[in-house]
Amino acid sequence: MSGEGARPGRALRELWGRVRRVPGWQFTLAAALLVLGFLMTAQAGAEPSRVQYTSQERPPLVETATQLQAQQDALKAQILDLRAQVEQLEASSAGSDALVTSLNDELQGARLAAGLVDLQGPGVVVQLEDSTQAVPPGAAPGDYLVGAADLRTVVDELWLDGGEAIAINGERVTAISGITDIGSSILLNGTYLQPPYQVVAIGPADLYDRLMASAGFASFVRARVEAYGIRLGAGSLDTAVVPAYAGAVALGYARPLESAAPGGPAAASPAASTRAGSPVAATPPGRPAGSARP
Amino acid sequence: MNAGMRSRRAQLTIALVALVLGFLSIVQLRAQAGGAGLGNLSTQDLTTLIANLNQRNGQLSSEVTALSAQVRALQQARARGDSAAGDLRADLTRTRLWAGLDPVTGRGVVVECAGPLTADEANDLLNELRVAGAEALSVESVRVVTGTVVAGPPGGLSVENAALPDPFRVTAIGNSINLTAALTRVGGIVSRLQVTSPAVRLTVTPSDAVVVPATDRSLLPADGRPRL
Repeated sequence: MSGEGARPGRALRELWGRVRRVPGWQFTLAAALLVLGFLMTAQAGAEPSRVQYTSQERPPLVETATQLQAQQDALKAQILDLRAQVEQLEASSAGSDALVTSLNDELQGARLAAGLVDLQGPGVVVQLEDSTQAVPPGAAPGDYLVGAADLRTVVDELWLDGGEAIAINGERVTAISGITDIGSSILLNGTYLQPPYQVVAIGPADLYDRLMASAGFASFVRARVEAYGIRLGAGSLDTAVVPAYAGAVALGYARPLESAAPGGPAAASPAASTRAGSPVAATPPGRPAGSARP
Repeated sequence: MNAGMRSRRAQLTIALVALVLGFLSIVQLRAQAGGAGLGNLSTQDLTTLIANLNQRNGQLSSEVTALSAQVRALQQARARGDSAAGDLRADLTRTRLWAGLDPVTGRGVVVECAGPLTADEANDLLNELRVAGAEALSVESVRVVTGTVVAGPPGGLSVENAALPDPFRVTAIGNSINLTAALTRVGGIVSRLQVTSPAVRLTVTPSDAVVVPATDRSLLPADGRPRL
């Protein structure tokens, strides 16, 4: 017990000598095992919180949403496949008949007008991503995320600059396509859009230059990119591809305005206008709808 | 030889540990990443999203049913040697109405817009109507089709080069109760504009029958071609 004061130095030296005799691979193994242990603990530690989430019914909801998206993708593929079948059957039906031929020509035009055909041509792509800037205290975090209004602004700008077909992340923008926010997620045509958001437009060869020169786009860049750091990329495309609309072409409320026949409009539309409390701008009767070609 | 064996065993052990390590790292990273964007949504937003996806999938299922029936009808006509002209005409009518090439009538709403609306506010209104399920839209006598955007400064708005009067009317065909509710709900566009643009007044009038005209444009692509 009395000689112990002199021993620690020697013991340390002995220990160090022993350590130096240990092969290098054992150190590597020890280090790896240390990380392994750490990860296993982290993994185990992650479990309770997931169980806790389950009790809050979150992961089942995420799972349901994911399943519904997968179901949606399958239904869209089915619709495109059935449309191709219909088109093929129609095109080959009673082939010699002149009426059928002309109906098929008209159908092809209507499908193009409705956005039911894949298109390709010159165009642009605009990509939007959330800001990576730190949100200052007191600021609204939502301002730093891409929202439905941002996509709507970009789409409207592209239309104004001469775009003739647009899709976001492959989902076609039609005449009645709505873009909306649900929390921090964005829906187009009721389809969830996964960021980053890629807006692809087909239009005139100088569509990119027109977009860059437009006052509306410049003010969008000032308001969102410069002020909040929304990440924006844009480029010209020699061959932009805009896929066909893969949704329902169904009308539950709208029906043809049959009354274009003589005497018809007086009976039908003014009555409608009175109910609406305003003279609704009606079509000039008898105009061959859709025949105008600029 | 003894030393060689020991080092080989060592290498094997390290390889095995590295393998397990890599596997666990990936599992851990995946667990943390969650369902990407969806994981960030609140329970309430997730529920709303699910309701939207459900509704959309219901519409898509109906479309699948309708298209399947159309395929069967065409196949039967062919088998019997009948003309399919009737089926083609029905398809043509529906597609033209939907695209905006023909005038339509039906239940809906008329929104009277008075005061100095901005173009963005007008386009916001159109978007809200679309989100609420409008099947056909017009701004005054202009059918809203792809590419139809309200432009210009407040007081000088125009759509497809037609100047808009003050007030101007937006007409939508669809479920008039849903359309009205979407616009007039708390946080809807009517209440938003009351706060941000008090000089603007939107009046929503549901109706049993409104008329939406056909477009003047051909809607045939000039720059794009069908992709084969």
